[in-house]
Amino acid sequence: MIRPALVLELAVGLAALGLALDARAQTVITGTVTSKAGQPLAGLALLEKGEIHNNVWDRGALVDANGRFRIEVSSGGPYGLHIYSSGYIYAPNAVKVDAGKTLEVHIVLVPEPTRANDPIVKRVGFFPWDAKQGKVAFVKMDISDPNGDLGPQVLAFNAAAGRAYAMAPPRQMRDLKANFPNGVYQLEVDTSAAPINPRDWHFVVADHRCNTTDILSFPHEPKPPRVVP
Amino acid sequence: MPTRLQVLVRSDRALPAVSVWILIALLSVGGVGSIRALWAGNGPRQALVAEGERWWSTSPDPTNPVACATCHDDPAAARGWAASFPKLRPLPPPHSRVMTLLQANAEAVARHYGLEDPRPAATAITAYLTRLGADTIITPAVSAGQPVFPERMARLAASVTRGERVYARRCESCHRVPEVAVRVLAFPRLREGRPEPVESFLEDHRPLTPRLRWDGQEVADLMAALMARIAGRPLGDPAIAGRKEES
Repeated sequence: MIRPALVLELAVGLAALGLALDARAQTVITGTVTSKAGQPLAGLALLEKGEIHNNVWDRGALVDANGRFRIEVSSGGPYGLHIYSSGYIYAPNAVKVDAGKTLEVHIVLVPEPTRANDPIVKRVGFFPWDAKQGKVAFVKMDISDPNGDLGPQVLAFNAAAGRAYAMAPPRQMRDLKANFPNGVYQLEVDTSAAPINPRDWHFVVADHRCNTTDILSFPHEPKPPRVVP
Repeated sequence: MPTRLQVLVRSDRALPAVSVWILIALLSVGGVGSIRALWAGNGPRQALVAEGERWWSTSPDPTNPVACATCHDDPAAARGWAASFPKLRPLPPPHSRVMTLLQANAEAVARHYGLEDPRPAATAITAYLTRLGADTIITPAVSAGQPVFPERMARLAASVTRGERVYARRCESCHRVPEVAVRVLAFPRLREGRPEPVESFLEDHRPLTPRLRWDGQEVADLMAALMARIAGRPLGDPAIAGRKEES
């Protein structure tokens, strides 16, 4: 005969096991990106952790040729999901994912009617900081904006690490709603574990009016933007 | 005693109350057709709505033709916006705050259209979006198909509390809150032939000293408190139909 106490212990044990398994379950934001016509779009999916537009950049992923992306995040909660594809206006989405769950989204991008107002990336470079004996490198990007309304979305994405970063402007900006200056933006990268690999890095810039550059990937040679037909 | 919205926003467990209010409201009105009819016609108010639709769909800057509708091109999604205000408008810190629909529209057209005085365009767009969502139910901070963010609900609840204090201090001696709350649905209205959003009415209301600012936090808080009183009603409430046009 099975003792009631044993049944209780088993039940508690199974419940604890279930909780532990649940805690280990991945928290994932995944989805598809298409044009209005349903054409899959490749690009970048970058996350702000917390309330959207807080400029706390966190994880990210490449959106593949099938328009699919998948980002594993460290915790549940609100995120600002920003989707970029060359020739399209970037799409910001406030999302919320529960811990241990997968959030599936479908994002539709609209093309930019003109590229005349896009920020212009002049060049990108990777520079080891000699004084730090190879432990630090700078990623630098020279940008200008025809309307002078750059904002904080001057972004670098390391695909190998799955990390997105806002690059620091040429001078400190206290107000994120202010127009940011043209010039060289930079990011300090810890290279103590491994040297920087430019192939891992992708860049995109969006100004305050959502005009968005093409995604600049290796070999980081900017090309004239074209309007998506 | 907490208002309906405070009950709604202070506890996640109370969130299903939204659907209860929606059900009650749907049962209490005569159908969406009658609500849409309130906003139909060719009067000056309809002209304001049409102007709002133009601002919505066409940028004033031909060299930068991105308009509201370029990105927000799904009328089904935009229909729910008006009824979801006031709510937290997420902006780069520290600028996030609870805003009215007009304030949010003004912020958006100032940024995207580069307008020095965004209020006329924002007023027209507010009229257009209010018309678009006339048959939707007032559910501040909750939009159909969108996630509910507890932090945003908490910020709205705090705004409602502040707004109740503003009302008690500035308005209560002359106006009973149930009567005032429903009258905010009559805005934007036409006054002496000019469009007037409720925020401008509050700014110009003479007994209110010091003066409220149409784009200020106190106005948003006041509106949050008033809209909390009428959460669950349709945005185009037939009870105030006669007050929508200038007499």
